[in-house]
Amino acid sequence: MTEARRPASLLDLDDLSPAELLDLLARADDFTDNAQARELLRGVPVLNLFFEASTRTYTSFVLAQQRVGADIVTLPPGASSLGKGETIADTALTLAAMNIRVIVTRHPASGFPYRLAEAFAGHVINAGDGRHAHPTQALLDLMTLRREFGQIAGLRVAVVGDILHSRVARSNILGLRMLGAQVTLVGPPTLLPESMAVSGVRIVRSLEAVLPEVDALMLLRIQRERITSAVLPALADYARNYRIDARRLALLPAHAIVMHPGPYNRGVELTDDVFSSKSWRYAQQVAYGVAARMAVLDHLVNGKGQRA
Amino acid sequence: MMLVIRGGRVVDPSQDLDGLRDIVVNDGLIHSILDADASKLYPDAQIIDASNLVVAPGFIDMHVHLREPGQTHKETVASGAAAAAAGGFTAVAAMPNTEPALDTPELISEVKRLAAAAGLARVYPIGAITKGRAGTELAPFWRLADAGAVAFSDDGATVADARVLRQAALYARDVPGPFISHCEDCCLKGDAVMNESLRSATLGLRGSPGLAEDIVVARDVLIAGDVGRPWHIAHVSTARSLALLRFARAQGIAVTCEVTPHHLLVSDDAFADFTATAKVNPPLRAQSDVAALLAGVRDGTIDAFATDHAPHTREEKALLLDDAPVGFTGLEIAVGAYAAALPDLPLLRFVGLLSTNPARILGVPGGSLAVGSVADITIFGERPWQVDVQRFYSGGKNTPFAGRTFARRAVMTIVGGRIIMRDGVVASDSPSLACKGALP
Repeated sequence: MTEARRPASLLDLDDLSPAELLDLLARADDFTDNAQARELLRGVPVLNLFFEASTRTYTSFVLAQQRVGADIVTLPPGASSLGKGETIADTALTLAAMNIRVIVTRHPASGFPYRLAEAFAGHVINAGDGRHAHPTQALLDLMTLRREFGQIAGLRVAVVGDILHSRVARSNILGLRMLGAQVTLVGPPTLLPESMAVSGVRIVRSLEAVLPEVDALMLLRIQRERITSAVLPALADYARNYRIDARRLALLPAHAIVMHPGPYNRGVELTDDVFSSKSWRYAQQVAYGVAARMAVLDHLVNGKGQRA
Repeated sequence: MMLVIRGGRVVDPSQDLDGLRDIVVNDGLIHSILDADASKLYPDAQIIDASNLVVAPGFIDMHVHLREPGQTHKETVASGAAAAAAGGFTAVAAMPNTEPALDTPELISEVKRLAAAAGLARVYPIGAITKGRAGTELAPFWRLADAGAVAFSDDGATVADARVLRQAALYARDVPGPFISHCEDCCLKGDAVMNESLRSATLGLRGSPGLAEDIVVARDVLIAGDVGRPWHIAHVSTARSLALLRFARAQGIAVTCEVTPHHLLVSDDAFADFTATAKVNPPLRAQSDVAALLAGVRDGTIDAFATDHAPHTREEKALLLDDAPVGFTGLEIAVGAYAAALPDLPLLRFVGLLSTNPARILGVPGGSLAVGSVADITIFGERPWQVDVQRFYSGGKNTPFAGRTFARRAVMTIVGGRIIMRDGVVASDSPSLACKGALP
């Protein structure tokens, strides 16, 4: 679906076919296993346009850009003319005129990268838009699962926590469904409305009921503003039902893994018991992020079939 | 000047009339309705050939936003009146969410003066319920009515305090004209940009539940019943709102309601590309709500068609969803869009919803072709056309129907016996409507 329109962008995983998604994952595996620097995007100007603070994703993107040899331009948050009333279309024209070919963008508004991609004659990579999508995070999560289990089809994956407000959850649900995993969503009704039970996805309110029958748990960050906005009563009340501690870890099958996109709240989504567990994969997730983003840059700029 | 409208199918719900008739207009009033060819009787009259067309009492859009005073970059009373005439409307009722709000007799008079100067359509101002539409102090209802306000509403700023609204309704109980409620609970709505649904969950957009409307509809019909004054619910958009209206009527409460063309034709599936093209209040709802609204028109629960004409500039609508204003222009697509939503609706009902019922609800002239009535007439027919926003008379080009082909359209608008629009072209040099048909 991406060939026919303007230069391909990665706004969410549904911009890819399942075959393209698998190709990206294979490419990322290759970058991880053969870690030398490459010149795949030598001299290609790439702009990092972040309107929201970011540690992990931003650093990971910059490392990925360096390792494919791109020319990197970074605007600090708030420095863009968009904040001065310039329209998205005008900003896009200006950047294209400076030969920027790739924009990596994060924005608090759902859909911002879609509006940008509409106007920009280059590639746009969504590094997180509002509550909507975070496709490169989903890629590194899928990569983690695939490297752990060999394949994703048939895997039983539970996503736990604040699904409604999570762009990570949305992109992961999309990718997991594309590749044939069985997805279970777990959380309280204010963070997980019934309407999110689309085809291939079930909703379960009891974490205990789910734990014995999963291959992977994806935990999500709980934001403190959910308390002041009357979505949750107190973090301790959430923790009572959904925090992963030693007791709940023990309910998992021996082969199951626990993932988290970070940053995590110790004592809320998980206790310190998790960090010493052999199930914990957070460090691998972060590490795979660089290769996953290298693969996206290579895929968009150099196209298919040019596997390095 | 005498007019003979010859050979048309005259559809007038006020007389339960649907048949081929000639209509004679004289001195701004309906002079006679004849079975025979009236042109022979009046050889000096101007003849309008209405064969294969429908001749109806002039359409009245009881819910429009004309933006003047204060936001004339979007629309003016004159451009809005031209859009009305172009779309087949002889009269509109203008909401008070101007800047400043229409909360003084002087402002009501000013809108009427601007409308008279434009001379293209009757414009009935709607007064505010509270000063500045701020929801706290009551507007001077009697003096607003004296100046020409035909109804009262705080429109998009739903009066949040039930005591204030009840006090307002009590004080104004004997003032003519309905209270009109835009029903949205501001807390439930929050800063939503669309309907709360699978769609909002999928897109990661903040949604407002149908409940935000239903709760206020319930409250307001109960206040209407408690106080005993006529009430009108603007732009119903949910199945449950309709159920509440049926309940209220079963209790004998005098409450009417309207529906927009977009809520009958478009669901929240229209939110696909993260643009504000589909952003409106109340939001486009689920398919099941659309189906319930269509059924509500057919079974008579819904009394009136009203567009909630809300012009904005292209630049404003191009902003990010969070920042872009709500609303669509409606006057110039209404006839086609309503017919597209309900192609099988009997014409007597179609005309009733667009003319006779709004006239009755607002207590204004028109809505009838009975002898002696004002000669406000809309002639329409099945003439397929494509929506071209560049040809809109309205300052606002924001409609989800751009490029769409509709089957029905108005071909002539006559106000007070004067031809204002013919084949989509609005007379540019219309003198003010200072004839007998015109309102004081």
